[in-house]
Amino acid sequence: MPELRTRPMYILAQDCGVRTRTRGRSILTARVPIAWENLFGGPTGHRVQVVDYDATTDTMYDPALTPRRAPRRPPADSQILGDPTFHAQNVYALVMATIARFEYALGRRVSWCFRGHQLKVAPHAFEQMNAFYSREAESLVFGYYGAPGDRHFMCLSHDIVVHETTHALLDGLRSRFMAPSSADQAAFHEGFADIVALLSVFALGEVMDVLVDRNRRAEGGLIARSAVTAEEIMNSWLLGLADDMESETEGARVNALRRSVTLEPDPNVLKHVEFQEPHRRGEVLVAATMRAFVDAWVRRLDSPEGARTDRIEVRRVVEEGMDVAATLLTMAIRALDYTPPVHLTFGDFLSALLTADTQIRADDSRYGLRKGLLDWFSRYGIAPASEAADGLWEAPAGNSQLVNEGVRFGSLQTDAVEMFRLVWANSEKLNLNPTAYTRIASLRPCIRTSPDDGLPLRETVAECLQYVQIYASELEPFGLTKPEGMADDTEIALEGGSTLILDDYGRLKYEVHNRLPDPARPNDVVKAQDRLDYLWEQGHFDPGASFAARLSTIHRLRAIDPPVRSSEAW
Amino acid sequence: MASPTHVRVRSYNVGFGDCFLLTFMYAGEKERNVLIDFGSTKASRSSPDLPTIARLIHDHSGGKLDMVVATHRHADHINGFGGASGKTIKALKPDLVVQPWTEDPKLAPDAQAPAGRAADAPTGSHALVARLGNMQAVAAAVVAQLPALEASPSVRKTVREQLAFLGETNLANADAVRNLMTMGKKNLYASFGTELPVDDLLPGVKIDVLGPPTLEESAKIQTQRSSDPDEFWQLAATRADPTRADGAPDVLFPAAAVTGPVPQEARWVIPEIERMRSEEILAIVRILDSVLNNTSLILLFEVGETRMLFPGDAQIENWSYALFTAPDCDEIRKRLATARFYKVGHHGSRNATPKTLWKGFEHVGPEGGPGRLETMLSTLAGKHGSVARGTEVPRRVLVEALKAGSNLHDTEDLRKAHPWADVDLDL
Repeated sequence: MPELRTRPMYILAQDCGVRTRTRGRSILTARVPIAWENLFGGPTGHRVQVVDYDATTDTMYDPALTPRRAPRRPPADSQILGDPTFHAQNVYALVMATIARFEYALGRRVSWCFRGHQLKVAPHAFEQMNAFYSREAESLVFGYYGAPGDRHFMCLSHDIVVHETTHALLDGLRSRFMAPSSADQAAFHEGFADIVALLSVFALGEVMDVLVDRNRRAEGGLIARSAVTAEEIMNSWLLGLADDMESETEGARVNALRRSVTLEPDPNVLKHVEFQEPHRRGEVLVAATMRAFVDAWVRRLDSPEGARTDRIEVRRVVEEGMDVAATLLTMAIRALDYTPPVHLTFGDFLSALLTADTQIRADDSRYGLRKGLLDWFSRYGIAPASEAADGLWEAPAGNSQLVNEGVRFGSLQTDAVEMFRLVWANSEKLNLNPTAYTRIASLRPCIRTSPDDGLPLRETVAECLQYVQIYASELEPFGLTKPEGMADDTEIALEGGSTLILDDYGRLKYEVHNRLPDPARPNDVVKAQDRLDYLWEQGHFDPGASFAARLSTIHRLRAIDPPVRSSEAW
Repeated sequence: MASPTHVRVRSYNVGFGDCFLLTFMYAGEKERNVLIDFGSTKASRSSPDLPTIARLIHDHSGGKLDMVVATHRHADHINGFGGASGKTIKALKPDLVVQPWTEDPKLAPDAQAPAGRAADAPTGSHALVARLGNMQAVAAAVVAQLPALEASPSVRKTVREQLAFLGETNLANADAVRNLMTMGKKNLYASFGTELPVDDLLPGVKIDVLGPPTLEESAKIQTQRSSDPDEFWQLAATRADPTRADGAPDVLFPAAAVTGPVPQEARWVIPEIERMRSEEILAIVRILDSVLNNTSLILLFEVGETRMLFPGDAQIENWSYALFTAPDCDEIRKRLATARFYKVGHHGSRNATPKTLWKGFEHVGPEGGPGRLETMLSTLAGKHGSVARGTEVPRRVLVEALKAGSNLHDTEDLRKAHPWADVDLDL
């Protein structure tokens, strides 16, 4: 038998609320190719181990076996709802498909933040209205709820599974993004996970078909152009899908799609008290991205290539939508390599998004996505962190090129010690603090293929982190002022870092940084002071405050909880 | 009739709970008695049982209560109003029973109403009350699951203890609620700014209601930005199906359950899943607990220039309306600043004595100073929160501040033979 490269599997296209327009309105599924691997019961493969244990009833379910060949027909609704084997396969396939998206975008294997290679996934972990990623448990856990006969399984929601997987993947790429820093960083994990989840759903033809066919306005495979405007897509198609989605009625989860469509552009939105909360703030990032998506989609349909008639082929509408969703998704993931390793702001992400995309897709005329993103982010009050006119990170000037004497280029791509040698030899140029604890947190060679010319783009991405532990009384040498009311003996960890991006020849292409504060660089000091004040205000220095953002808490708060005024507490 | 000349605040040692008897004395007139809260969720070695305390209240009030206040629905504030002790209190024939507006039976929708989005689904105030009911159903479910959680070695001991404690505190206390509804000649459900008709009951005494705010007044207490919270608690409550009160929920897929030993490859992660589950339950019960605390009445008693503050268990979200948001909040803060007596909020927890409030008190001062602030703390250490996490009740740094700046009367210092403490103020 010839070796199989992929294993087609059926997944839920969105969730049990989104149904086909035909075939008796059954639950909409999609057939997706998953990279072939040897699978054991669970399914357990080289990246994922599904463990079907339910802590509420203390029950272990039979590890699901996956046949070599995919079933010919999509699963029936009764199987989707009642067969734990399908649930296990659904989460396995969705996690694997999300990993594949990240690897495709980044041009390399991606790893987890923890030591093991296999992410544990519990599709029926407990009877709770929550699902989350836990670094300590190396796991994704999905709850279920509702009385017998009206059960809802969070493991059956495409967007929820991809959202949680994205948390795990992002944590593997930038472990400091879960650390306490600023309102933006606290919100980024959640917002980014929503962006990946929603675009993954729109990159599926099955969902697009249903979306475009919503109002049954298509006749003979054609749809009126007047029904394909940005406004129509937002208010009718996307909100319609949001209405169908289970997460809308379940209350266990905020419907990110609905929020992104209904959040009106406002350049001051991020200043509102409500949007200081991480679980609301992330929605702004999602809204800006989704609007850029819709605009690019409509522009594609409007392009001069298209026939200028009053009707347009449904097929084309669907395919352009999928294409734009997939392209934007790849852009968003690629941007991560161009983000600073610590203290991410939305502006940093925007500059990273634009810069990373320019490297590999110099010509953006097909989608106009870069311009669209810049425009929509600005309408939501997000300006690029880079001060360059185009918002791109600025390449180092000629005289700031690194000294690489004594550095062996051959091992620079793979050996963290060699990379540290390069960093150490250039510590002044890189504005490093020589007294801080300094380490290379990651070193990742990657090869991406440019869609423009088909040629590979080679880059080496290294994260360099710096860390000092001081008392509040020692803030002054860093140019910082102690927040009012903070005790002198309060322990404070200051962090800084740079992402170094090297080209084919080991030369520095970009240095994306949020450095340790130094009075010689007033900009860094202002940013660090803002972060310190924010954390003090948020109660981060209170006794018992948790150090890392708890994703489980953020999810719950998104659904139910109020803000807390910590400065009033003892 | 003239104003009172003297007031005595008596706090009874109920263990973990609150019970205060205010007695206003008048020259040549009979005294007037107000009972504020009566409940306990944990006895201490030196605290008598609730029926005994009820008899003491009977004796100390001369067989008559003029007014009863139940600040909020938590067991440690109202369970004394149920059972045998409740009967004793009822026999004291209170003229007026005051509770927060969230307890108004006219607002209470059918607790058994099915989940879903009916066109006549409750909104606003009704929805909040429905949600409180749903939350208590969730608490009941958690309590039902306690034995199973007890048995699990992967559930952390501290999580187990907190769950047991918070779960029981949040139970519905149906008997006490019913008794409160029927024991008084008149019931009044108050919110920020409600005028309490006490001119005849307590001549010369004025009572300001500073909390809880209504939904319209404060978006903070309602914990909601959309319809999501209602749905959340409603659906969570379906879990609390009374027919499953034995704590044995249904296995989802009986046919697929592994009957033999757990597969070896799953054994590492199973304790992790159990741990996460218990911590999730605790997080939810904590939210529920704090929402109920934030329905607590905050009362400021005023006789001439003397003010006494009884905030129940109000936490910062409840307080913030009176302190920061109300149109006359500056004036309120000024009046609060002159308080001579403060009942320490929420048994001395870290977020129920707003620092703005404490820093504002003018009568805080060194020991022996004239007119120094009198504070009363009804609490029991070691039952709630953890020192390591800085969440212990009572919070150590708060108790230190109370001792340093006021005459602190702590129920933990009381002996069984004399289970009450008094603060006497000349008016």
